[in-house]
Amino acid sequence: MIQSDHPLGGFATALKYIVLVGGAFVMVFPFVWMLIASLMTAGEIQLRPPVWLPATPQFNNYAELVESIPIARLYFNSLFTSGIIVFGVLLSSSLAGFAFAKYRFPGRELLFYLILATMMIPFFVTLIPVFFIVRQLGWIDTYQGLVIPGLTSAYGIFLMRQFMITVPDEIIDAARIDGASELSIYWRIVLPLIKPALATLGTFVFIGAWNNFLWPLLVLNSRELMTLPLGINSLRSLYADNTNLLMAGTAVSVLPMLFVFIYLQRYFIQGIALTGLKG
Amino acid sequence: MTAVSPKRAWWTPDIPKSPLMRRRMLWAYAFISLPILALLVFLLGPILFSGWVSLHRWDMLSPVSEMPWRGLGNYVFLLTKDKVFAKALGNTFLFAIGGVGANTILGLGFALLLNSRIRGQRVWRVLYFMPVITAPLALAVMFSFIFDRNFGVVNSFITSLGLPRQPFLSAPSQVLMTLIFIAVYQFVGYYIVIFLAGLQGIPQDYYDAAQVDGAGKWQEFRFITLPLLKPVMLFVVVTNTIGALQVFDLVFATTGGAPANSSMTVVLHMYNTAFKFSRMGRASAMAFILFGIILLITILQVRLLRDRAYQD
Repeated sequence: MIQSDHPLGGFATALKYIVLVGGAFVMVFPFVWMLIASLMTAGEIQLRPPVWLPATPQFNNYAELVESIPIARLYFNSLFTSGIIVFGVLLSSSLAGFAFAKYRFPGRELLFYLILATMMIPFFVTLIPVFFIVRQLGWIDTYQGLVIPGLTSAYGIFLMRQFMITVPDEIIDAARIDGASELSIYWRIVLPLIKPALATLGTFVFIGAWNNFLWPLLVLNSRELMTLPLGINSLRSLYADNTNLLMAGTAVSVLPMLFVFIYLQRYFIQGIALTGLKG
Repeated sequence: MTAVSPKRAWWTPDIPKSPLMRRRMLWAYAFISLPILALLVFLLGPILFSGWVSLHRWDMLSPVSEMPWRGLGNYVFLLTKDKVFAKALGNTFLFAIGGVGANTILGLGFALLLNSRIRGQRVWRVLYFMPVITAPLALAVMFSFIFDRNFGVVNSFITSLGLPRQPFLSAPSQVLMTLIFIAVYQFVGYYIVIFLAGLQGIPQDYYDAAQVDGAGKWQEFRFITLPLLKPVMLFVVVTNTIGALQVFDLVFATTGGAPANSSMTVVLHMYNTAFKFSRMGRASAMAFILFGIILLITILQVRLLRDRAYQD
Protein backbone atom coordinates (compact mmCIF):
# COMPACT_ATOMS: atom_id res chain seq x y z
CA MET A 1 0.00 0.00 0.00
CA ILE A 2 2.75 2.41 0.89
CA GLN A 3 4.87 1.75 -2.16
CA SER A 4 4.49 4.30 -4.89
CA ASP A 5 5.17 4.41 -8.60
CA HIS A 6 6.73 7.84 -8.33
CA PRO A 7 10.55 7.97 -8.02
CA LEU A 8 10.21 10.34 -5.07
CA GLY A 9 7.31 8.27 -3.73
CA GLY A 10 9.13 6.89 -0.72
CA PHE A 11 10.27 10.30 0.37
CA ALA A 12 6.86 11.92 -0.22
CA THR A 13 5.13 9.18 1.74
CA ALA A 14 7.55 9.56 4.62
CA LEU A 15 6.91 13.31 4.62
CA LYS A 16 3.16 12.72 4.74
CA TYR A 17 3.51 10.52 7.79
CA ILE A 18 5.80 13.04 9.48
CA VAL A 19 3.22 15.81 8.99
CA LEU A 20 0.40 13.56 10.21
CA VAL A 21 2.34 12.47 13.28
CA GLY A 22 3.31 16.07 14.04
CA GLY A 23 -0.30 17.16 13.76
CA ALA A 24 -1.50 14.28 15.90
CA PHE A 25 1.11 15.13 18.54
CA VAL A 26 -0.24 18.70 18.75
CA MET A 27 -3.79 17.37 19.05
CA VAL A 28 -3.08 14.81 21.75
CA PHE A 29 -0.43 16.63 23.77
CA PRO A 30 -2.76 19.02 25.67
CA PHE A 31 -4.76 16.04 26.96
CA VAL A 32 -1.62 14.16 27.96
CA TRP A 33 -0.16 17.21 29.64
CA MET A 34 -3.39 17.73 31.56
CA LEU A 35 -3.08 14.18 32.88
CA ILE A 36 0.60 14.52 33.76
CA ALA A 37 0.08 17.85 35.52
CA SER A 38 -2.88 16.42 37.40
CA LEU A 39 -0.50 13.89 38.99
CA MET A 40 2.13 16.45 40.04
CA THR A 41 2.42 18.23 43.35
CA ALA A 42 1.62 21.94 43.41
CA GLY A 43 5.34 22.56 43.90
CA GLU A 44 6.46 20.47 40.92
CA ILE A 45 4.32 22.52 38.56
CA GLN A 46 6.20 25.67 39.55
CA LEU A 47 9.74 24.24 39.53
CA ARG A 48 12.48 25.91 37.53
CA PRO A 49 14.00 24.41 35.53
CA PRO A 50 10.71 22.64 34.76
CA VAL A 51 10.16 18.94 35.36
CA TRP A 52 8.38 16.89 32.69
CA LEU A 53 7.07 14.12 34.95
CA PRO A 54 6.06 13.92 38.61
CA ALA A 55 8.62 12.27 40.91
CA THR A 56 5.83 10.06 42.25
CA PRO A 57 2.35 10.25 40.70
CA GLN A 58 0.05 12.03 43.15
CA PHE A 59 -3.15 10.01 42.82
CA ASN A 60 -4.17 11.74 46.00
CA ASN A 61 -5.00 14.82 43.93
CA TYR A 62 -8.06 13.03 42.63
CA ALA A 63 -9.15 12.04 46.12
CA GLU A 64 -8.76 15.64 47.21
CA LEU A 65 -10.78 16.78 44.19
CA VAL A 66 -13.65 14.44 44.98
CA GLU A 67 -13.76 15.84 48.49
CA SER A 68 -14.01 19.45 47.39
CA ILE A 69 -16.54 19.22 44.56
CA PRO A 70 -19.51 16.88 44.08
CA ILE A 71 -18.29 15.20 40.88
CA ALA A 72 -21.03 12.58 40.81
CA ARG A 73 -23.66 15.27 41.19
CA LEU A 74 -22.15 17.29 38.33
CA TYR A 75 -22.22 14.20 36.14
CA PHE A 76 -25.79 13.44 37.04
CA ASN A 77 -26.88 17.02 36.28
CA SER A 78 -25.10 17.06 32.93
CA LEU A 79 -26.44 13.66 31.91
CA PHE A 80 -29.96 14.35 33.12
CA THR A 81 -30.37 17.74 31.48
CA SER A 82 -28.59 16.80 28.25
CA GLY A 83 -30.66 13.61 28.07
CA ILE A 84 -33.94 15.50 28.40
CA ILE A 85 -32.85 18.04 25.80
CA VAL A 86 -31.88 15.28 23.34
CA PHE A 87 -35.18 13.49 23.88
CA GLY A 88 -37.17 16.71 23.50
CA VAL A 89 -35.40 17.84 20.35
CA LEU A 90 -35.68 14.41 18.71
CA LEU A 91 -39.38 14.14 19.52
CA SER A 92 -40.38 17.69 18.55
CA SER A 93 -38.19 17.80 15.44
CA SER A 94 -39.33 14.45 14.12
CA LEU A 95 -43.03 15.21 14.73
CA ALA A 96 -42.85 18.60 13.05
CA GLY A 97 -40.53 17.30 10.32
CA PHE A 98 -43.01 14.48 9.63
CA ALA A 99 -45.87 16.95 9.23
CA PHE A 100 -43.85 19.19 6.92
CA ALA A 101 -42.61 16.28 4.82
CA LYS A 102 -45.71 14.15 4.46
CA TYR A 103 -48.86 16.22 4.99
CA ARG A 104 -50.65 18.95 3.08
CA PHE A 105 -52.12 21.74 5.14
CA PRO A 106 -52.76 25.45 4.69
CA GLY A 107 -49.80 27.50 5.83
CA ARG A 108 -47.31 24.70 5.36
CA GLU A 109 -44.95 26.65 3.10
CA LEU A 110 -45.25 29.83 5.12
CA LEU A 111 -44.46 28.04 8.36
CA PHE A 112 -41.58 26.16 6.78
CA TYR A 113 -40.04 29.40 5.52
CA LEU A 114 -40.45 30.75 9.02
CA ILE A 115 -38.48 27.80 10.36
CA LEU A 116 -35.74 28.29 7.78
CA ALA A 117 -35.52 31.93 8.84
CA THR A 118 -35.30 31.13 12.55
CA MET A 119 -32.47 28.68 11.82
CA MET A 120 -30.32 31.70 11.08
CA ILE A 121 -30.93 33.44 14.40
CA PRO A 122 -27.80 33.18 16.56
CA PHE A 123 -28.23 32.39 20.25
CA PHE A 124 -26.87 35.71 21.47
CA VAL A 125 -29.69 37.69 19.86
CA THR A 126 -32.34 35.94 21.91
CA LEU A 127 -30.26 35.50 25.07
CA ILE A 128 -31.56 38.52 26.99
CA PRO A 129 -35.28 38.01 26.21
CA VAL A 130 -35.17 34.27 26.88
CA PHE A 131 -33.42 34.94 30.17
CA PHE A 132 -36.15 37.47 30.97
CA ILE A 133 -38.92 35.00 30.10
CA VAL A 134 -37.34 32.28 32.21
CA ARG A 135 -36.99 34.71 35.11
CA GLN A 136 -40.61 35.85 34.82
CA LEU A 137 -41.67 32.21 34.94
CA GLY A 138 -39.70 31.81 38.17
CA TRP A 139 -37.43 29.21 36.58
CA ILE A 140 -34.09 30.72 37.52
CA ASP A 141 -31.95 28.12 39.25
CA THR A 142 -34.16 25.19 38.20
CA TYR A 143 -33.76 22.29 35.80
CA GLN A 144 -36.72 23.46 33.74
CA GLY A 145 -35.13 26.87 33.23
CA LEU A 146 -32.03 25.17 31.92
CA VAL A 147 -33.84 22.66 29.74
CA ILE A 148 -37.14 23.97 28.41
CA PRO A 149 -35.83 26.74 26.11
CA GLY A 150 -33.68 24.09 24.41
CA LEU A 151 -36.35 21.49 23.71
CA THR A 152 -37.03 22.58 20.13
CA SER A 153 -34.62 23.28 17.34
CA ALA A 154 -35.40 24.88 14.00
CA TYR A 155 -32.36 23.13 12.56
CA GLY A 156 -33.65 19.81 13.90
CA ILE A 157 -37.05 20.28 12.25
CA PHE A 158 -35.34 21.18 8.98
CA LEU A 159 -33.03 18.17 9.13
CA MET A 160 -35.84 15.73 9.98
CA ARG A 161 -38.00 17.07 7.17
CA GLN A 162 -35.17 16.63 4.67
CA PHE A 163 -34.75 13.00 5.65
CA MET A 164 -38.44 12.16 5.95
CA ILE A 165 -39.14 13.49 2.47
CA THR A 166 -37.07 10.58 1.15
CA VAL A 167 -39.45 8.06 2.73
CA PRO A 168 -41.65 6.83 -0.18
CA ASP A 169 -45.30 7.89 -0.01
CA GLU A 170 -46.29 4.39 -1.16
CA ILE A 171 -45.16 2.86 2.15
CA ILE A 172 -47.25 5.35 4.08
CA ASP A 173 -50.31 4.87 1.86
CA ALA A 174 -50.01 1.11 2.13
CA ALA A 175 -49.96 1.39 5.91
CA ARG A 176 -53.05 3.59 5.83
CA ILE A 177 -54.88 1.04 3.70
CA ASP A 178 -53.97 -1.56 6.30
CA GLY A 179 -55.68 0.65 8.84
CA ALA A 180 -52.71 2.15 10.60
CA SER A 181 -53.34 5.37 12.49
CA GLU A 182 -51.34 8.51 11.72
CA LEU A 183 -49.50 8.18 15.01
CA SER A 184 -48.53 4.58 14.39
CA ILE A 185 -47.35 5.47 10.89
CA TYR A 186 -45.06 8.04 12.51
CA TRP A 187 -43.88 5.75 15.26
CA ARG A 188 -43.73 2.34 13.53
CA ILE A 189 -42.86 3.21 9.95
CA VAL A 190 -41.25 6.60 9.51
CA LEU A 191 -39.12 6.78 12.66
CA PRO A 192 -37.42 3.39 12.13
CA LEU A 193 -36.60 4.38 8.55
CA ILE A 194 -34.76 7.52 9.58
CA LYS A 195 -32.85 6.05 12.53
CA PRO A 196 -29.44 7.17 11.19
CA ALA A 197 -30.65 10.76 10.93
CA LEU A 198 -32.09 10.57 14.43
CA ALA A 199 -28.80 9.24 15.76
CA THR A 200 -26.89 12.04 14.07
CA LEU A 201 -29.16 14.81 15.29
CA GLY A 202 -29.17 13.26 18.76
CA THR A 203 -25.38 13.20 18.84
CA PHE A 204 -25.10 16.85 17.82
CA VAL A 205 -27.67 17.98 20.30
CA PHE A 206 -26.09 15.93 23.06
CA ILE A 207 -22.61 17.36 22.51
CA GLY A 208 -24.05 20.86 22.32
CA ALA A 209 -26.03 20.48 25.52
CA TRP A 210 -23.24 18.66 27.36
CA ASN A 211 -20.67 21.34 26.54
CA ASN A 212 -22.99 24.33 26.84
CA PHE A 213 -21.66 26.93 29.22
CA LEU A 214 -23.22 30.36 28.75
CA TRP A 215 -26.86 29.40 29.32
CA PRO A 216 -26.25 27.31 32.46
CA LEU A 217 -23.97 30.10 33.72
CA LEU A 218 -26.86 32.54 33.47
CA VAL A 219 -29.65 30.32 34.73
CA LEU A 220 -28.10 28.24 37.51
CA ASN A 221 -26.73 29.47 40.82
CA SER A 222 -26.78 26.63 43.31
CA ARG A 223 -24.10 23.98 43.54
CA GLU A 224 -26.66 21.18 43.53
CA LEU A 225 -27.75 21.97 39.97
CA MET A 226 -24.37 22.73 38.39
CA THR A 227 -23.41 20.97 35.16
CA LEU A 228 -19.84 19.90 34.35
CA PRO A 229 -18.71 23.06 32.51
CA LEU A 230 -19.99 25.15 35.42
CA GLY A 231 -18.08 22.87 37.77
CA ILE A 232 -14.83 23.44 35.88
CA ASN A 233 -15.53 27.15 35.90
CA SER A 234 -15.93 27.18 39.67
CA LEU A 235 -12.68 25.22 40.02
CA ARG A 236 -10.86 28.02 38.20
CA SER A 237 -11.22 30.30 41.20
CA LEU A 238 -11.18 27.56 43.84
CA TYR A 239 -7.85 26.18 42.57
CA ALA A 240 -6.28 29.37 41.27
CA ASP A 241 -3.07 28.34 43.07
CA ASN A 242 -3.42 24.57 42.66
CA THR A 243 -3.15 24.01 38.96
CA ASN A 244 -2.55 20.30 39.56
CA LEU A 245 -6.01 19.98 41.14
CA LEU A 246 -7.56 22.16 38.44
CA MET A 247 -6.13 19.78 35.83
CA ALA A 248 -7.43 16.78 37.78
CA GLY A 249 -10.88 18.33 37.73
CA THR A 250 -10.70 19.06 34.03
CA ALA A 251 -9.48 15.52 33.32
CA VAL A 252 -12.34 13.98 35.27
CA SER A 253 -14.88 16.04 33.37
CA VAL A 254 -13.36 15.56 29.91
CA LEU A 255 -11.98 12.03 29.69
CA PRO A 256 -15.14 9.89 30.05
CA MET A 257 -16.74 11.76 27.15
CA LEU A 258 -13.61 11.15 25.09
CA PHE A 259 -13.77 7.42 25.77
CA VAL A 260 -17.40 7.32 24.70
CA PHE A 261 -16.43 9.16 21.55
CA ILE A 262 -13.57 6.79 20.74
CA TYR A 263 -15.92 3.85 21.24
CA LEU A 264 -18.64 5.31 19.00
CA GLN A 265 -16.39 7.34 16.68
CA ARG A 266 -17.64 5.76 13.45
CA TYR A 267 -21.18 7.03 14.00
CA PHE A 268 -20.02 10.47 15.11
CA ILE A 269 -17.85 11.05 12.09
CA GLN A 270 -20.21 9.56 9.53
CA GLY A 271 -23.02 11.67 10.93
CA ILE A 272 -21.01 14.83 10.73
CA ALA A 273 -19.98 14.21 7.17
CA LEU A 274 -23.62 13.40 6.33
CA THR A 275 -25.28 16.47 7.81
CA GLY A 276 -22.41 18.79 7.01
CA LEU A 277 -22.88 18.12 3.35
CA LYS A 278 -26.65 18.18 3.51
CA GLY A 279 -26.79 21.47 5.34
CA MET B 1 -41.71 19.32 -2.19
CA THR B 2 -43.98 16.25 -2.08
CA ALA B 3 -45.22 14.33 -5.09
CA VAL B 4 -48.58 16.10 -5.03
CA SER B 5 -47.53 19.68 -5.46
CA PRO B 6 -49.28 21.65 -8.18
CA LYS B 7 -47.78 25.00 -9.09
CA ARG B 8 -49.12 27.33 -6.48
CA ALA B 9 -47.86 30.43 -4.73
CA TRP B 10 -46.85 29.83 -1.15
CA TRP B 11 -49.42 32.20 0.30
CA THR B 12 -52.55 30.62 -1.23
CA PRO B 13 -54.30 28.26 1.16
CA ASP B 14 -54.26 24.62 0.18
CA ILE B 15 -57.30 23.17 1.93
CA PRO B 16 -57.86 19.51 1.15
CA LYS B 17 -61.33 18.68 -0.12
CA SER B 18 -62.21 15.24 1.21
CA PRO B 19 -63.09 14.75 4.90
CA LEU B 20 -60.38 12.10 5.14
CA MET B 21 -57.76 14.55 3.95
CA ARG B 22 -59.07 17.16 6.37
CA ARG B 23 -58.69 14.76 9.26
CA ARG B 24 -55.08 14.21 8.22
CA MET B 25 -54.62 17.95 8.05
CA LEU B 26 -55.70 18.20 11.67
CA TRP B 27 -53.12 15.57 12.57
CA ALA B 28 -50.46 17.63 10.85
CA TYR B 29 -51.46 20.67 12.89
CA ALA B 30 -51.33 18.57 16.02
CA PHE B 31 -47.80 17.41 15.13
CA ILE B 32 -46.46 20.89 14.54
CA SER B 33 -48.37 22.75 17.25
CA LEU B 34 -45.99 22.34 20.18
CA PRO B 35 -42.73 22.76 18.25
CA ILE B 36 -44.07 25.88 16.53
CA LEU B 37 -45.34 27.26 19.81
CA ALA B 38 -41.93 26.71 21.39
CA LEU B 39 -40.19 28.43 18.48
CA LEU B 40 -42.56 31.37 18.82
CA VAL B 41 -41.96 31.69 22.56
CA PHE B 42 -38.20 31.07 22.62
CA LEU B 43 -37.02 32.36 19.23
CA LEU B 44 -39.36 34.58 17.24
CA GLY B 45 -40.94 36.39 20.15
CA PRO B 46 -37.56 37.02 21.77
CA ILE B 47 -35.96 38.40 18.61
CA LEU B 48 -38.79 40.91 18.20
CA PHE B 49 -38.64 41.78 21.89
CA SER B 50 -34.88 42.13 21.67
CA GLY B 51 -35.25 44.59 18.80
CA TRP B 52 -37.76 46.59 20.86
CA VAL B 53 -35.49 46.59 23.92
CA SER B 54 -32.57 47.82 21.82
CA LEU B 55 -34.50 51.08 21.32
CA HIS B 56 -34.86 51.64 25.07
CA ARG B 57 -32.98 51.95 28.30
CA TRP B 58 -33.77 48.96 30.48
CA ASP B 59 -32.24 47.24 33.50
CA MET B 60 -34.58 44.21 33.37
CA LEU B 61 -35.86 45.04 36.86
CA SER B 62 -38.19 47.92 36.02
CA PRO B 63 -41.47 46.95 34.30
CA VAL B 64 -41.36 46.51 30.53
CA SER B 65 -44.13 49.10 30.09
CA GLU B 66 -41.99 51.80 31.71
CA MET B 67 -38.79 51.44 29.71
CA PRO B 68 -37.55 54.92 28.73
CA TRP B 69 -37.46 55.32 24.94
CA ARG B 70 -34.03 55.99 23.45
CA GLY B 71 -34.75 55.61 19.75
CA LEU B 72 -31.52 54.80 17.97
CA GLY B 73 -29.55 56.25 20.89
CA ASN B 74 -28.04 52.89 21.86
CA TYR B 75 -26.86 52.25 18.31
CA VAL B 76 -25.43 55.75 17.97
CA PHE B 77 -23.61 55.40 21.28
CA LEU B 78 -22.12 52.02 20.34
CA LEU B 79 -20.99 53.10 16.90
CA THR B 80 -19.59 56.49 17.86
CA LYS B 81 -18.67 56.55 21.56
CA ASP B 82 -18.19 53.04 22.95
CA LYS B 83 -14.44 52.47 22.55
CA VAL B 84 -14.65 48.98 24.04
CA PHE B 85 -17.26 47.99 21.48
CA ALA B 86 -15.09 49.25 18.62
CA LYS B 87 -12.15 47.34 20.06
CA ALA B 88 -14.30 44.24 20.50
CA LEU B 89 -15.53 44.43 16.91
CA GLY B 90 -11.97 44.73 15.61
CA ASN B 91 -10.77 41.83 17.76
CA THR B 92 -13.71 39.67 16.74
CA PHE B 93 -13.01 40.30 13.05
CA LEU B 94 -9.32 39.49 13.42
CA PHE B 95 -10.16 36.38 15.40
CA ALA B 96 -12.63 35.23 12.72
CA ILE B 97 -10.34 36.01 9.78
CA GLY B 98 -7.37 34.26 11.34
CA GLY B 99 -9.37 31.28 12.52
CA VAL B 100 -11.34 30.75 9.31
CA GLY B 101 -8.22 31.13 7.17
CA ALA B 102 -6.21 28.66 9.21
CA ASN B 103 -9.06 26.18 9.58
CA THR B 104 -9.75 26.18 5.85
CA ILE B 105 -6.14 25.77 4.79
CA LEU B 106 -5.24 23.22 7.47
CA GLY B 107 -8.57 21.42 7.15
CA LEU B 108 -8.19 20.99 3.40
CA GLY B 109 -4.47 20.21 3.67
CA PHE B 110 -4.92 17.42 6.20
CA ALA B 111 -7.98 16.10 4.38
CA LEU B 112 -5.88 15.82 1.21
CA LEU B 113 -3.20 13.99 3.17
CA LEU B 114 -5.71 11.58 4.68
CA ASN B 115 -7.39 11.04 1.33
CA SER B 116 -4.15 9.78 -0.23
CA ARG B 117 -2.85 6.29 0.37
CA ILE B 118 -2.36 6.48 4.12
CA ARG B 119 -2.56 3.73 6.69
CA GLY B 120 -4.73 4.03 9.78
CA GLN B 121 -7.28 6.54 8.44
CA ARG B 122 -9.60 5.88 11.32
CA VAL B 123 -6.96 6.42 13.98
CA TRP B 124 -5.87 9.74 12.50
CA ARG B 125 -9.42 10.96 12.23
CA VAL B 126 -10.16 10.07 15.86
CA LEU B 127 -7.03 11.83 17.11
CA TYR B 128 -7.74 15.00 15.16
CA PHE B 129 -11.38 14.96 16.16
CA MET B 130 -10.91 14.69 19.94
CA PRO B 131 -10.92 18.44 20.68
CA VAL B 132 -14.10 18.94 18.63
CA ILE B 133 -16.22 17.08 21.17
CA THR B 134 -14.45 18.51 24.22
CA ALA B 135 -16.13 21.37 26.07
CA PRO B 136 -14.65 24.71 24.92
CA LEU B 137 -14.51 25.68 28.57
CA ALA B 138 -12.33 22.69 29.45
CA LEU B 139 -9.99 23.46 26.56
CA ALA B 140 -9.79 27.07 27.69
CA VAL B 141 -8.70 25.94 31.14
CA MET B 142 -6.17 23.47 29.72
CA PHE B 143 -4.63 26.05 27.39
CA SER B 144 -4.54 28.82 29.99
CA PHE B 145 -2.15 26.53 31.83
CA ILE B 146 -0.25 25.36 28.74
CA PHE B 147 0.38 28.95 27.60
CA ASP B 148 0.95 30.32 31.10
CA ARG B 149 3.72 32.90 31.16
CA ASN B 150 5.47 31.42 34.20
CA PHE B 151 4.55 27.77 34.52
CA GLY B 152 3.26 26.91 31.05
CA VAL B 153 4.73 23.92 29.26
CA VAL B 154 5.21 25.89 26.04
CA ASN B 155 7.43 28.34 27.87
CA SER B 156 9.26 25.48 29.58
CA PHE B 157 10.04 24.15 26.14
CA ILE B 158 11.03 27.54 24.72
CA THR B 159 13.31 28.40 27.62
CA SER B 160 14.94 24.97 27.57
CA LEU B 161 16.01 25.84 24.02
CA GLY B 162 17.60 29.01 25.42
CA LEU B 163 14.96 31.31 23.90
CA PRO B 164 13.20 34.10 25.81
CA ARG B 165 9.96 33.42 27.67
CA GLN B 166 6.80 34.54 25.78
CA PRO B 167 3.76 36.18 27.41
CA PHE B 168 1.15 34.58 25.08
CA LEU B 169 -2.24 35.26 26.69
CA SER B 170 -0.93 38.01 28.95
CA ALA B 171 0.33 40.49 26.33
CA PRO B 172 -1.84 42.53 23.95
CA SER B 173 0.53 41.73 21.09
CA GLN B 174 0.15 37.95 21.37
CA VAL B 175 -3.21 37.29 22.96
CA LEU B 176 -5.30 37.18 19.78
CA MET B 177 -2.83 34.91 17.99
CA THR B 178 -2.88 32.55 20.95
CA LEU B 179 -6.68 32.50 21.06
CA ILE B 180 -6.82 31.84 17.32
CA PHE B 181 -4.43 28.94 17.82
CA ILE B 182 -6.68 27.44 20.49
CA ALA B 183 -9.80 27.90 18.37
CA VAL B 184 -8.15 26.28 15.36
CA TYR B 185 -6.90 23.46 17.57
CA GLN B 186 -10.46 22.90 18.70
CA PHE B 187 -12.24 22.91 15.34
CA VAL B 188 -9.80 21.88 12.64
CA GLY B 189 -10.71 18.21 13.10
CA TYR B 190 -14.32 18.99 12.25
CA TYR B 191 -13.30 20.69 9.02
CA ILE B 192 -10.92 17.87 8.13
CA VAL B 193 -13.84 15.44 8.35
CA ILE B 194 -16.07 17.70 6.24
CA PHE B 195 -13.40 18.20 3.58
CA LEU B 196 -12.58 14.52 3.59
CA ALA B 197 -16.22 13.65 2.92
CA GLY B 198 -16.22 16.19 0.10
CA LEU B 199 -13.04 14.74 -1.41
CA GLN B 200 -14.41 11.23 -1.26
CA GLY B 201 -17.49 12.42 -3.11
CA ILE B 202 -15.46 13.38 -6.19
CA PRO B 203 -15.68 10.53 -8.72
CA GLN B 204 -12.37 8.77 -9.39
CA ASP B 205 -13.17 8.84 -13.15
CA TYR B 206 -12.27 12.52 -13.32
CA TYR B 207 -8.78 11.84 -12.04
CA ASP B 208 -8.36 8.84 -14.32
CA ALA B 209 -9.37 10.95 -17.31
CA ALA B 210 -6.99 13.71 -16.27
CA GLN B 211 -4.15 11.23 -15.96
CA VAL B 212 -4.85 9.96 -19.45
CA ASP B 213 -4.53 13.56 -20.61
CA GLY B 214 -1.22 13.80 -18.80
CA ALA B 215 -2.26 16.18 -16.02
CA GLY B 216 0.11 16.56 -13.07
CA LYS B 217 -0.83 16.46 -9.39
CA TRP B 218 -1.08 20.24 -9.15
CA GLN B 219 -3.25 20.46 -12.25
CA GLU B 220 -5.54 17.75 -10.88
CA PHE B 221 -5.88 19.74 -7.67
CA ARG B 222 -6.39 23.07 -9.40
CA PHE B 223 -8.81 21.96 -12.12
CA ILE B 224 -10.67 19.02 -10.57
CA THR B 225 -10.45 18.97 -6.78
CA LEU B 226 -10.77 22.68 -6.06
CA PRO B 227 -13.72 23.47 -8.39
CA LEU B 228 -15.65 20.38 -7.31
CA LEU B 229 -14.98 21.16 -3.68
CA LYS B 230 -16.51 24.62 -3.86
CA PRO B 231 -19.85 23.76 -2.23
CA VAL B 232 -17.95 22.16 0.65
CA MET B 233 -15.63 25.16 0.83
CA LEU B 234 -18.64 27.45 0.97
CA PHE B 235 -20.13 25.44 3.82
CA VAL B 236 -16.85 25.46 5.75
CA VAL B 237 -16.17 29.16 5.32
CA VAL B 238 -19.73 30.26 6.11
CA THR B 239 -20.32 28.08 9.17
CA ASN B 240 -16.86 28.77 10.53
CA THR B 241 -17.24 32.54 10.12
CA ILE B 242 -20.66 32.54 11.77
CA GLY B 243 -19.30 30.50 14.67
CA ALA B 244 -16.09 32.49 15.11
CA LEU B 245 -17.90 35.82 15.23
CA GLN B 246 -19.86 34.52 18.24
CA VAL B 247 -16.89 33.34 20.30
CA PHE B 248 -17.57 33.50 24.03
CA ASP B 249 -16.59 30.51 26.20
CA LEU B 250 -12.95 30.47 25.12
CA VAL B 251 -12.34 34.16 25.82
CA PHE B 252 -14.41 34.17 28.99
CA ALA B 253 -12.34 31.43 30.59
CA THR B 254 -8.86 32.35 29.33
CA THR B 255 -8.51 36.12 29.48
CA GLY B 256 -11.94 37.57 30.18
CA GLY B 257 -11.08 40.15 27.51
CA ALA B 258 -7.81 41.21 29.20
CA PRO B 259 -5.17 42.61 28.96
CA ALA B 260 -6.66 46.09 28.41
CA ASN B 261 -9.54 44.75 26.29
CA SER B 262 -7.06 43.44 23.73
CA SER B 263 -9.00 40.18 23.58
CA MET B 264 -12.47 41.59 24.25
CA THR B 265 -15.00 40.14 21.79
CA VAL B 266 -18.48 41.34 20.90
CA VAL B 267 -20.46 38.60 22.65
CA LEU B 268 -18.31 38.87 25.79
CA HIS B 269 -18.78 42.65 25.83
CA MET B 270 -22.49 42.09 25.31
CA TYR B 271 -22.59 39.60 28.18
CA ASN B 272 -20.80 42.05 30.49
CA THR B 273 -23.01 44.96 29.42
CA ALA B 274 -26.18 42.96 30.02
CA PHE B 275 -25.45 40.79 33.01
CA LYS B 276 -22.81 42.76 34.90
CA PHE B 277 -23.96 46.30 34.24
CA SER B 278 -27.67 45.63 33.58
CA ARG B 279 -27.78 47.72 30.40
CA MET B 280 -30.17 45.52 28.45
CA GLY B 281 -30.96 48.14 25.79
CA ARG B 282 -27.36 48.72 24.89
CA ALA B 283 -26.54 45.00 24.97
CA SER B 284 -29.51 44.22 22.69
CA ALA B 285 -28.35 46.88 20.23
CA MET B 286 -24.93 45.21 20.27
CA ALA B 287 -26.54 41.88 19.50
CA PHE B 288 -28.39 43.36 16.55
CA ILE B 289 -25.31 45.04 15.14
CA LEU B 290 -23.40 41.75 15.27
CA PHE B 291 -26.39 39.86 13.86
CA GLY B 292 -26.55 42.34 10.98
CA ILE B 293 -22.84 41.93 10.33
CA ILE B 294 -23.16 38.15 10.36
CA LEU B 295 -26.04 38.23 7.88
CA LEU B 296 -24.14 40.62 5.61
CA ILE B 297 -20.95 38.58 5.65
CA THR B 298 -22.87 35.36 5.03
CA ILE B 299 -24.67 36.84 2.03
CA LEU B 300 -21.38 38.20 0.65
CA GLN B 301 -19.59 34.88 1.07
CA VAL B 302 -22.41 32.92 -0.54
CA ARG B 303 -22.47 35.33 -3.48
CA LEU B 304 -18.73 35.35 -3.91
CA LEU B 305 -18.10 31.64 -3.66
CA ARG B 306 -21.19 30.62 -5.57
CA ASP B 307 -20.53 32.95 -8.49
CA ARG B 308 -16.96 31.74 -8.72
CA ALA B 309 -18.24 28.19 -8.73
CA TYR B 310 -20.42 28.94 -11.71
CA GLN B 311 -17.63 30.63 -13.61
CA ASP B 312 -15.37 27.60 -13.53
